[in-house]
Amino acid sequence: MSLLEVDKINTYYGEAHALFDVSLHVEQHEVVALLGRNGAGKSTTLNTVMGVLAPKSGAIRFAGAAVASLPPYEIAQRGLQLVPEERRIIGGLTVEENIVLATLTAEKPWPLERAYEMFPRLAERKRNRGRELSGGEQQMLAIARALVREPKMILLDEPFEGLAPIIVQDLIGVCRKTAEAGQTIVIVEQNVEAALGLAHRCYVLNNGHVVFEGRPDALRKDTDFMHRHLGVEA
Amino acid sequence: MIVEKLSARGPLGRWLPEAAAVVGLLIFPSVFALIGGTADMADRILIWGIFGLGFDILFGFTGLLSFGQAAFFGSGGFMTAYLLIAGVTDNAMVALLIGTAFAAILGVIIGALSLRRSGIYFAMLTLAFGEMFYFLDISPLKEYTGGENGLSGVPATHVGIGKWFVELHTPEGMYWVIAILFLIGFWLARRIVNSSFGAVLLSIRENGERARTLGHDIQKYKLAAFVIAATYAGVAGSLFGLFQGYMPPDGFYLETSGQLVVQTIMGGAGTLVGPTVGALVWIYLRTALQQLPLVGPVWKMVLGIIFVLIVTLFRRGICGGIAILWERLVGSGVAGATAPAVAVAATDKSPRTRAPLTGKVILEAKDLTKRYGGLTAVDKVSFQVVEGEIRALIGPNGAGKTTFFNMLAGAIPPTGGEMFFRGERITSAGSTAICQRGLVKSFQINQLFPSLTVWDNVRIPAIARTYGKFHPSMLRDVGNSEELNALIAQSLAAVHLSDRAHAPARELAYGEKRRLEIGLALATKPSTLLLDEPTAGMSPSERQDTIRLLKSVAAGVTIVIVEHDMDVVFGLADRITVLFNGRKIAEGPPDAIKANPEVRAAYLGNPVQK
Amino acid sequence: MNWSLLWAQLFNGLTLGALLVLVAMGLTIIFGALGVINFAHGAFYMVGAYAGYVAYAATHSFVLAVIAGAAALLLVGIVIERGLIRYYYRRPHEDQILATFGLGIILVEAVRAWFGGISQRLPVPTWGTGAVNLGFLYYPTYRIEVLGIVAVTLVVLYLVLYRTRLGLIVRAGIEDQLMVNVLGINVNRTFLVVFGLGSMAAGFAGVINAPIVTVVPDMGELVLVQSFVVIVIGGVGSFWGALIGGLIAGEIISLTAIVQPAYSEVMLFAAMAIVLILRPQGLFGVQGRQ
Repeated sequence: MSLLEVDKINTYYGEAHALFDVSLHVEQHEVVALLGRNGAGKSTTLNTVMGVLAPKSGAIRFAGAAVASLPPYEIAQRGLQLVPEERRIIGGLTVEENIVLATLTAEKPWPLERAYEMFPRLAERKRNRGRELSGGEQQMLAIARALVREPKMILLDEPFEGLAPIIVQDLIGVCRKTAEAGQTIVIVEQNVEAALGLAHRCYVLNNGHVVFEGRPDALRKDTDFMHRHLGVEA
Repeated sequence: MIVEKLSARGPLGRWLPEAAAVVGLLIFPSVFALIGGTADMADRILIWGIFGLGFDILFGFTGLLSFGQAAFFGSGGFMTAYLLIAGVTDNAMVALLIGTAFAAILGVIIGALSLRRSGIYFAMLTLAFGEMFYFLDISPLKEYTGGENGLSGVPATHVGIGKWFVELHTPEGMYWVIAILFLIGFWLARRIVNSSFGAVLLSIRENGERARTLGHDIQKYKLAAFVIAATYAGVAGSLFGLFQGYMPPDGFYLETSGQLVVQTIMGGAGTLVGPTVGALVWIYLRTALQQLPLVGPVWKMVLGIIFVLIVTLFRRGICGGIAILWERLVGSGVAGATAPAVAVAATDKSPRTRAPLTGKVILEAKDLTKRYGGLTAVDKVSFQVVEGEIRALIGPNGAGKTTFFNMLAGAIPPTGGEMFFRGERITSAGSTAICQRGLVKSFQINQLFPSLTVWDNVRIPAIARTYGKFHPSMLRDVGNSEELNALIAQSLAAVHLSDRAHAPARELAYGEKRRLEIGLALATKPSTLLLDEPTAGMSPSERQDTIRLLKSVAAGVTIVIVEHDMDVVFGLADRITVLFNGRKIAEGPPDAIKANPEVRAAYLGNPVQK
Repeated sequence: MNWSLLWAQLFNGLTLGALLVLVAMGLTIIFGALGVINFAHGAFYMVGAYAGYVAYAATHSFVLAVIAGAAALLLVGIVIERGLIRYYYRRPHEDQILATFGLGIILVEAVRAWFGGISQRLPVPTWGTGAVNLGFLYYPTYRIEVLGIVAVTLVVLYLVLYRTRLGLIVRAGIEDQLMVNVLGINVNRTFLVVFGLGSMAAGFAGVINAPIVTVVPDMGELVLVQSFVVIVIGGVGSFWGALIGGLIAGEIISLTAIVQPAYSEVMLFAAMAIVLILRPQGLFGVQGRQ
């Protein structure tokens, strides 16, 4: 059985229909990329899985249990962790407080030192408030907040958005290292090349529908398809 | 609105509410006596009813919850009582007019201060200012107000002409004076509610921010509503002192403001007569409950419990409940009758041909920049839109499209750079002024007036276009304006919603709501329309319909559109501007953009390094 | 200039301000974390005083009275959050205000029905009688003790907010509820605790203030209004705003009384109007919120 199984979910924003019968599955130790243009439904998918949005229909199973429509905190306690878009660092809390906050309900949280080893930059800034960090540092903190909970699966929502290329390279390195250590990851990213470089498998969404599932090289080969669904062509 | 609904039944029905009020006021004392009511109680109920007419305009129609109305009730009452006692005038009606004017002037001052904040702050501020008046009354001004003793010995006077007069010191005599003033107040309130001014007040209650972006100076409207409420409070307070022959400091108590709120909610806010019904219940139950042996000492607690239950479970109150029952009995045929049927021939315009791209520049941004803390969301973006063109703005997530768009519409101020519209600088003009000049935005997430009908929704921008950003015409029935009706009908026809005119906006299907969203913008008769993801959340077939609709709308209007659906973008745009990481990386006709390597790379996450 | 009068009024302002800080702090923390402004907060303060009065009548121990007042309001707060407030988190602010306002009426009238409208007295504890010679001023012992008690309470509150897990969650929740939820924390339970603690602060203030004022069913009304003014001056949802705003309010009231007693309350509202004109978001408020 897959670690995560999403079966024909339909999600709405108010009355706006955002996801249409989206199904996908993620195996343990796998890195899966969700691709698509703005508004294709990628973030909506992650948010629905995390319980931030409730699907109107469909089933979600995580680690063998039905989790659709549970509140986010219960899903988080079962070992699923979202790193949300725009990072959502608590700006008034220090770096260390942000990390401690994340460990509070984790079953076997990392010791803080382990997080600082992974992100030495955060160790230097641990007394700084979240809002004083640069975008790259905030993203490191957001990822650190997820890792310290030692979750069964991490959902990364646009982790490279708005960051300088050099920092993106660093973060790709972190993601790769984490994945090689066996962490299961679902990544949503506009930066298609970066996401495909990390992923074992990928899905492409368009207007709330899954239009592709397969290996990255299979997607890369079909350049027409890529441009139609990810690039600037109608 | 039960009153409006009754009023909508033909020319005779127009005066039905007033006629009903006359009959009601005539028979009220005798009917009320049957259940043990006294003339004294009847007077009090009507005084609270007058107080409530004004408060309902403020709270029920404009959505502003004030806990400080006692300030104006007390001020009017004390001014009137003082004038008569001090012998400044011996005419009760003159004193009442001066007292009322005094309350209205205070309303301007307190309103201007309290309306600097909204929501909970407004409630807290009005409550605090109300308390301030209480302290002014009992302490610094006690020489004039009698402090905690109040002003007693208001001379017993009468009003009348020649031998027809009524004594003001008997509850029976006073009843007719109060009843006539109530009737005038009721008639005026109905006119206000049915005027274009009243329509804008309702839109503020429903969605104030949207009313602002559609070109209304909502601050002025709110202040006007506040002053109207203060005026009614002044009349009520003056009558209170006259009728008792004594003006007590209770007039300024927080309890007075609170009782008004409670009565209005119980009777039904937004119905005009609700507060009177609430006062009837409150005053009658108080008397009745006080006589019961067990309930007597806890009558107010019982009323408090009823109040909380009504707030929690039945927010529309007694009159709201009657309105619902009425609709069930009579059917919903009456529901939308405020919208006159105006037949509009469907104008099938020939498909628009692409505009020449060499015309006059209508909208221009120069080095427009927005920084949030350390983050630069939009970095020195310049662009020029030519009159009549359709310009698409695209770019990956986080490119700064929305921020750029919001600056153009005046929703957020830029950190740097300039904006010009039809040659005029609009950089810091704000959304209301920008809308008044003909540049308007429709929103990605529907911003409608949910409980108003489709027709009444579109009326809001139509009023702004026709009468400007503040139009305090309160007595003319807004439904009778041919000019408005024509503009509304035309806008509804343009977005294919003519046959849904009578439905409340909240009952529309999603696609219809999206069209109404565009219809609101169109009814401001814009020369340039900013469309934020008009097809967001639509099914593929709805998207096709919307593209067609936009093409027909586009004749004579310049459009700037943010959209991520490439079918929509390439199907519509004359030229495309591409933003990436806050900067403009490309601009040109669709084919050139499609072929641009930098754009292709940006979309696949591999920007060409510069 | 009469120096001892000035000193006395400065101290009176401090005592009054300290109590306002305590009441406003509960109000502002509840608002910050839950987004609900509690119009029954003044009634909570009053119920605290009555709970203390009842406990004192039964035990003749002032300490037990204080504990009873605080504990009673913790309980009241928890019951009311579960029974009423939680249904209002998703409703408009106007409805929250109306419901809590109605709740205030019910509490006040229940107390009036039970104890009657006449004023009750909670005597100054034996360790608080008499006056202390401060060198420049003889000042009632109990009032100095109240200052100490409030100071200690605020330090404890500060430590809870800034040095404990609960405080960490509350501060995070004030900024971003959803993210706290996503990090595995049951925000609803935290809401309950915050509402309970905020109510408890009001009850606690009610008891310790009871020996200074008279205990009547309407005693909470003025305190509610004044703590609104404190919040408007200080800025809502801010610890330091409530602290500084409360002290400013207390001093304005007492210092005006030296010059012109009739205006002491009025001046407070004038100060509020000035803050509104010059800095609408309050001294410590963040622009854009509300």
